[in-house]
Amino acid sequence: MFAVLHVSSFALHAALRLRATDRLPLSRPAALFSDPSRNSLVLECTSAAHRAGVREGMTVPQALARCPRLLVCPRTATGEGEASALLRAATFLLSPSVEETEPGVCTADLTLGAELDHRALIGQGLALLQAQDLPATAGLGRTPLLALYAAQQAQAPTQLLEVTDERTFLSPLPLAIARPPAEIAAVISQWGLRTLGDFNALPAAELLQRFGTAGAAFIGRCRGGEPRPLRTVPPARRFHAGHDLDDPLAALEPLLFSLRRLLDRLELELRQAGQAAAEILLRLKLENDDVHSHRTVLPEPAVDAGILFQALHSHLHTLQTNAAIISLDVELVPTRALVRQTGLFEHGLRDPHGFAETLARLAAKIGADHIGTPRLIDSHRPDAFQLTPPATLLASPAPPPRHAPLGTPLRRFRPPLPATLEFASDDPRPRYVHTPRFAGEITTLAGPWRSSGDWWQPEEKWDRIEWDIGLAGGGLYRLLNRNGAWFIEGEYD
Amino acid sequence: MNSHNRLPLSAPIAPSAAQARPAVEELRHLLAERFALSARAPERLLATGLPALDKVIGGLPLGALTEVCCTVPSCGSHLLLGQLLEITRLTQRRVALVDAADSFDPASFPSGDLEHLVWVRCQGANTALALTDILIRDANLGLVVLDLRAVCAAELRRVPATQWYRLQRAVEATDLALVVETPHACIASAHVRLSLHQPQSPDSWQRERRTLIDALTPSVERQRAIRAFGR
Repeated sequence: MFAVLHVSSFALHAALRLRATDRLPLSRPAALFSDPSRNSLVLECTSAAHRAGVREGMTVPQALARCPRLLVCPRTATGEGEASALLRAATFLLSPSVEETEPGVCTADLTLGAELDHRALIGQGLALLQAQDLPATAGLGRTPLLALYAAQQAQAPTQLLEVTDERTFLSPLPLAIARPPAEIAAVISQWGLRTLGDFNALPAAELLQRFGTAGAAFIGRCRGGEPRPLRTVPPARRFHAGHDLDDPLAALEPLLFSLRRLLDRLELELRQAGQAAAEILLRLKLENDDVHSHRTVLPEPAVDAGILFQALHSHLHTLQTNAAIISLDVELVPTRALVRQTGLFEHGLRDPHGFAETLARLAAKIGADHIGTPRLIDSHRPDAFQLTPPATLLASPAPPPRHAPLGTPLRRFRPPLPATLEFASDDPRPRYVHTPRFAGEITTLAGPWRSSGDWWQPEEKWDRIEWDIGLAGGGLYRLLNRNGAWFIEGEYD
Repeated sequence: MNSHNRLPLSAPIAPSAAQARPAVEELRHLLAERFALSARAPERLLATGLPALDKVIGGLPLGALTEVCCTVPSCGSHLLLGQLLEITRLTQRRVALVDAADSFDPASFPSGDLEHLVWVRCQGANTALALTDILIRDANLGLVVLDLRAVCAAELRRVPATQWYRLQRAVEATDLALVVETPHACIASAHVRLSLHQPQSPDSWQRERRTLIDALTPSVERQRAIRAFGR
């Protein structure tokens, strides 16, 4: 048994589905043209365009004269490639043995999984294609050709037609479905034959004698062909999608629309390969020949297109380019899906992707170097720390430090507040302190504590003297003398 | 003119308390039925380990906004923060600190208490509020501290009240506690308002921090009931 997924007017649908200008492009008049020039000809058109008088072979001005609302779609190789990849991925839902028979037609050999519910799987594949604006029909038959005829005869999108009685099924079909060579078609037409039933009623041996070897293949096609081994294609190993845009994009919304389409297809391929994405590589080509590249490392391998999309959305939300975007390119770096059991006392993130998303949104507002988990640097230099990315997994808490901390924590002023001190004539200790924020009488003074470091590095060396002071109105501060200048470094709080 | 709606001159202007009671009860019953969200639920709390706080209100309410007013210098707001960092590390809750004046000093705290901290360094109340709005929607966090203590009062006064209500509404749907440290009471939508009004004395430099934390006595100036959020 073979199954065929078939997309009629494939090139037209492939061009329309990636256009972000219209969410329901098939409901409006649209036509596919051979190229973007004015002299190009209509190759295919939607039923709405056909009702408005647009016909195949018309030029752009002729078509627009009949239908001013006509959506002009030039044929795009990347769009058709993307649609083919999607159709192929949907067919892999049915069987691992898949043939790309022709553009818009994929055949699956179902003999390998006879125990599976093929009808349900086909329904799933058709629904998936429909959701991606690539309406397809399906056929089931004893041979690939019968399955193709059935798929072509199914009229409504997502309809599945199964050939049970071959003779009855083939009889009313027009002869054109078997694609007769031109010279044979002319002869048959003169005989007055119109359907496969008419043709198959004639004796095969005499037909073969009349048409020779050229007609043998046609006679076989008229009778539904024979089972044959498929020219199988391998499942995707590289998870890559790209799209050349018809019109340069300067806004975020249409870019996101196209991006989501590409990611949906990549998700399907990832699932079929049993892998997950560890990184996303995004490449945007601009009108001025610049290229914007961005690599997003996911906190955990992910398959879901929504998560991948959100990760890119956070980056694109704040992106500003010098020129409009003319093509986009996404590649997923695959890895094995994460299977992990955390330790009994370890604590992971409830939603790792949500956490990464939150950090990305914060970074977009204030910069990535302003967010993180502080780690102390092994140095006596004051305020020596670095910010590191927050850990996704927290180990069990360490035992309390051997020496319990003393005193109140410091609330730093960054940069330190310049201070002016007043001294009594007979006392070397300061009496008053004045800063831009506060002033007061110094009632308590502890210190001095002198420290220095990095004296062997002229650029890095530091030398300071600290006092702790208490003011009369309340408030404990750290007084700092650096290179002869006075500062308040922070408030003990 | 709707003259038939007017009361006769002989009618009392307001019903007596005894007459009004059944009507009020009926109205309460009606409101409770119509607005199920308003039903009071047992409060979810984050124990702080501060005896003065946990004994009085049980801890910081989850899904609610708590304002800590630091009305005097060296009032112990960073002592409180250190205690929250310690307790959340023990209970495996992640903490975000939105530092509106970039005043947090990591060296003042044990390094083990910083492993679960996301420190967001920014400048200005408006930026800090916008960042807090993002953080409180993250399901991974158990506590978000917005430190506005060092922000100048004039800037804080310019924050519209709707901004605070927005934060309060957002945090209601979560499982985290939102603590905002301010130099004076300014958050009308706060469920709990604590006040730290005792400055630390100079001898605190020599005392163990645990002793200082135990001696910290924030006073509860406001405590509102928390609304259940349909969970």
